[in-house]
Amino acid sequence: MANFIGVFLRSLEYGSFYALSALSIILVYKTSYTTNFAQATLGMFNTFLVATLVMRQGWSLYAAIPIGIVSAVILGVLIDIVIIRRATKAGPVGKQIITLGLISVFLGLTPIIFGVDNLSLPRFVSSGTLTIMGTPFSYNALFNILFGIFIMLTMFATIQKTKIGLAIRTTASNETTARIMGVPTKTVTMAAWAVAIVLSMISGLMTAPYSSVSLTFMNDVQITAFLATVVGGFATFHGPVIAAYGISVLLNIFQVYMPSGTIWGKPLLYAVLLLIMYFKPYGIFGKQRLKKV
Amino acid sequence: MKKIIKNPYSHFILLGLVLLTLPYLAEAGAIRNSTVTVIGTTIIYTIAALGLNVLLGFSGLISLGTAGFMGLAAYISAYVTETMALPFEVAVMAAIGIPTLLGILVGILSLKFEGIYLGIATLVVAEILREIFINVTPFTGGATGALAGRPVLAGTFQLNRIQTYYLIVVVMVLIFILIHNLTKGHLGRALNAMRGSEAAAQAMGVNIFKYRLIAFGIATVLAAVSGVLYVHYVGLSYPTTWNLMLSLDFLAIIVVGGFRSIFGTFIGSFIIFAMSELFLKPIPALANITPLVKGILIIIFILYYPNGLANIKHQVSHWLVRRKGKRDAFGQTKAEKKNLTRAEVRENDTV
Repeated sequence: MANFIGVFLRSLEYGSFYALSALSIILVYKTSYTTNFAQATLGMFNTFLVATLVMRQGWSLYAAIPIGIVSAVILGVLIDIVIIRRATKAGPVGKQIITLGLISVFLGLTPIIFGVDNLSLPRFVSSGTLTIMGTPFSYNALFNILFGIFIMLTMFATIQKTKIGLAIRTTASNETTARIMGVPTKTVTMAAWAVAIVLSMISGLMTAPYSSVSLTFMNDVQITAFLATVVGGFATFHGPVIAAYGISVLLNIFQVYMPSGTIWGKPLLYAVLLLIMYFKPYGIFGKQRLKKV
Repeated sequence: MKKIIKNPYSHFILLGLVLLTLPYLAEAGAIRNSTVTVIGTTIIYTIAALGLNVLLGFSGLISLGTAGFMGLAAYISAYVTETMALPFEVAVMAAIGIPTLLGILVGILSLKFEGIYLGIATLVVAEILREIFINVTPFTGGATGALAGRPVLAGTFQLNRIQTYYLIVVVMVLIFILIHNLTKGHLGRALNAMRGSEAAAQAMGVNIFKYRLIAFGIATVLAAVSGVLYVHYVGLSYPTTWNLMLSLDFLAIIVVGGFRSIFGTFIGSFIIFAMSELFLKPIPALANITPLVKGILIIIFILYYPNGLANIKHQVSHWLVRRKGKRDAFGQTKAEKKNLTRAEVRENDTV
């Protein structure tokens, strides 16, 4: 039982990494109508910035994070103004390929700016463990879980209850109508990109202490987040987030309780998700968009 | 004579002949030996990208699993020739057959998915394959990779590096001709109709199920052929090669080269793979900026040149016509009109 609680809490912690990334993907999808493949790479770039400030310049982590957030916002605004806004002629596949181009650009830029060595990043809460029902558990993990849930709830409250959220929802449902109604859709899209990159960076900062800050350290998180968005469906904001936590729980259960689960847990999970996708092709929470011929 | 020049087959064969001369140029010292190797690898990537172009360009179905299928074929071919010590021909058949069956299975799954859902479903398949490459060490050699020798044709002819290069060029020309024929015929029209509107295509009697399977089949066969050639040309295969980035590179090739164009695929592949290897990597100061240049190229092409480099032929001819002067309904250019007398203009107006 104690073991199970440990597994469950770890799933929740990893779930927040995935959920933050999934929320980042769905925000961009809803406002720019493209799946942002560069989500992980942009998160990686800003995590590198924070890690460089901490490891090379000797800054404290908490002083470096605001700089990272500012850089993420600037990056989001720039990407929207310079590239996404001009891509009106490109179709959905064309826009996806633009984000693939962004991956390449930032994979090229990162070693030039921050050097080729992998960096390591300290945890948010550096030390201390508490015991929950006989399971040792670090304060950092607890912080990750709570902070992840806090960000989710803040985002959902903003989207559902505030005027800004209304603007996001109208832009998401129909951009042309929203513009006619006086919603500044361009600003909404720009803000969505900025917030999405900040979310990716937070996901990166949380993941980094468990591995090292390298060019590819976010890739696994990104693939799981994409699965979460597909399984949860692109139709809602909450679907992908719930799916992200669910996938994380499933993955940990497969890895711990299955024989040779550490090796075959992930492929089995992928196969199960593929099966779910087959029977629910528009996601568990999604609905089919009907189109006229 | 004009017929031969206009014949697309002769274009493909000419391209093949030009590529065949490269090893001689290398021997004569005009180009480096490594250049030939880079061009050979580029041709291999062209073949896989062409398969994706049939799938994405003609039928509008996206796949992010190309690298996975290519890797599967590479590992099967290496396993059959090295561990099982069976002839090269058997390896080719197994390495093309098994991934193709899997590809057709994905095609059956694909009937349920649309757009990006399909992209991610194929990505999941590729990720499962990649986990297999990493973890089934008896079959793939795990992280240390699988080794394979150069092909031995008919059990007797052991090819060396340059002969393998010839084999690759010949296979490329054959595939170009085959794909040209397929896409110019009934199949091409059916796939085009499907891309425009599935419902309309169905109403016109196009069997969506059948043609989706065929499109996926072609894409996987070409990915598999390219995987087999890769492992026997490069000599080894690591699990890290067959990741999402490679599948994305194939997409980039099609975008830069042009949808639905065979030559475009070749040019795109040359720009994405060969150009950085040949021109940027030898210069130390520029070696690091390769991915940066690649990314900027992709973005610029999508934004300002969405039809790809294959479109350049039409643009040049269009530009030539414009330079000569546009002719109006009376066959007169603007320059000629300026010289008209008032009476002549009136005559034009009354016609």
